[in-house]
Amino acid sequence: MERTGSRWLSRLYLIIVFIFLYVPIVYMIVYSFNAGGQMHHFSGFTLDWYRELFSDTRLLMIVLNTLIIALFSAAVATAVGTMGAIGLYFLTQRRVREGLLTLNNILIVNPDVVIGASFLILFTVLGIQLGFISVLIAHIAFSIPIVVLMVLPKLYEMPRTLIDAASDLGAPPRQVLTRVIIPFITPGIMAGFFMALTYSLDDFAVTFFVTGSGFSTLSVEIYSRARHGISLSINALSTILFGVTMLLVFGYYWLSQRGARRLALWVKR
Amino acid sequence: MAEVPIIRFENVTKQFDDDEPILKHVSFELERGKFYTLLGPSGCGKTTILRLIAGFIQPTSGRIYFNGRLINDVPANKRQVNTVFQDYALFPHLDVFENVAFGLRVKKLPEARVRDKVLEALRFVNLQGFERRKIHEMSGGQKQRVAIARAIVNEPEVLLLDEPLSALDLKLRTEMQYELRELQRRLGITFVFVTHDQEEALAMSDEIFVLNNGRIEQSGTPRDIYDEPINRFVADFIGESNIVPGVMLEDYLVSFGGKTFRCVDGGFHRNEPVEVVIRPEDLELVPPDRGLLTVTVESLLFRGVHYEMIGRDEEGNRWLVHSTKKAQVGETIGLDFEPEDIHIMRLGESEEEFDRRIEAYGVSTDDANA
Repeated sequence: MERTGSRWLSRLYLIIVFIFLYVPIVYMIVYSFNAGGQMHHFSGFTLDWYRELFSDTRLLMIVLNTLIIALFSAAVATAVGTMGAIGLYFLTQRRVREGLLTLNNILIVNPDVVIGASFLILFTVLGIQLGFISVLIAHIAFSIPIVVLMVLPKLYEMPRTLIDAASDLGAPPRQVLTRVIIPFITPGIMAGFFMALTYSLDDFAVTFFVTGSGFSTLSVEIYSRARHGISLSINALSTILFGVTMLLVFGYYWLSQRGARRLALWVKR
Repeated sequence: MAEVPIIRFENVTKQFDDDEPILKHVSFELERGKFYTLLGPSGCGKTTILRLIAGFIQPTSGRIYFNGRLINDVPANKRQVNTVFQDYALFPHLDVFENVAFGLRVKKLPEARVRDKVLEALRFVNLQGFERRKIHEMSGGQKQRVAIARAIVNEPEVLLLDEPLSALDLKLRTEMQYELRELQRRLGITFVFVTHDQEEALAMSDEIFVLNNGRIEQSGTPRDIYDEPINRFVADFIGESNIVPGVMLEDYLVSFGGKTFRCVDGGFHRNEPVEVVIRPEDLELVPPDRGLLTVTVESLLFRGVHYEMIGRDEEGNRWLVHSTKKAQVGETIGLDFEPEDIHIMRLGESEEEFDRRIEAYGVSTDDANA
């Protein structure tokens, strides 16, 4: 009796939390279809705001920029992060390895504002012009630790004997890497890529610091437009962004589930 | 005799960091085309020897020769040695065919050759038709065969097997023992087999190295090691044995359990304290008045093929007896045995001294018995 009671209570709590988290998003999505042009009275369904969005070439350019930055930075970060993880894995001195890993993790928990501000200082000192390049570099930098963190567990999952077996069969170190290690950790690499992609797509704080006047990404643009006054095309834009992010999350989830299932089968036999 | 040994260890020591060395000044030679077993408890250094031969690790000191050539600094991928791993270490992202083809593809053999050789290797281990199976779809025994095929397809001069049967159930293990022995005969290459299972070692090997604490305690044919263990450790580790203290009154005459017996061992000092080994299956159950020793039965276990009895003699020595005859607990029984069943171990004797003594006194013993 008491058990079912407390279970109901915990469920209720969970429901409230989710309502609290998702209601604003749902509210925003619903009003992106509002013909009334404001956020407090739904007067009829329309796709006008989406139409307005897609006729706004400046905004479309920004969307394109955002995607290019995301794909590019994720790709570079995946390459660098994977190599970094492999490097960490093969470090024999435990102290050094754990030290480097801690430095890696600090970057993940470090507030974006701190990272953004320090990049701004760095770019100013180095004389790098703020714009596409600065944003790209910053995005690559904050994505690398994420990739490392996604790839490393996959490496530790790999039996060490696989490496021995490969070199036993005559593979030089390079081929051990390409024929055995990389294929084994591919699910981790993919997961890292998708995580980097989502982090880049929805980053605001770091980008806000290092973006110049001529260059903008979606999140920064939405922020500046929202300050100028409410237009429901921002709702439409945010809805699309939300949709894309959801797709990425599902993509990542699907990949990692598939990897886990494969592994489970492998272990069971 | 003049032939160069395929593998020679010369005073090899392996030490990790500042720990106690896992191998201590080990020297031995392996001949071509024989089935060798490295036998010992876990942590004795047997797998370390295997990994040194394979090239996964380098010796701290000493030399390793392959075919007369020093290979201390030759990396694993350049050695004509292949390994079957304890966990098989099959590549999960490749199917059976590609696993076996791995070594050939690394060597960049033409596709047609790869195909022929892989199919032949799979036929060799009775896995025709499994080429496109995924590794996780194979049973333990099948994985084992894939691992063997993957190793032998490269035509190594030495095949290393690291406890390859330990993950299999008893029936399959026995089957694989026959298959491995047969495989070694057909291939005619040197097998180095690592195990902690003494029955496995006795059944399969041409020669056994018994290891303990990073040292080779004794090497020899299964018969040598079983019948003439050099010391208490070997006698205990290989099969079950009764080890009792005794005194060598003179050559071929030993006293233990309060009585004096004829035996076949010589080369001792007068009244030298020794250890006496008698295997439990060599003790025959007889009426008390006809036994060379009389013991009181303390416990009895039915083991299927035989009864296992533990008795105690007047001096308090414990005697393990395997017999198809049954005795009652508390009953006094006689134990009979032949002089050849008694094996004498000199305390603290090295393997060289032991071999020299056996050689010097072994022949005359046969004459004495004739």
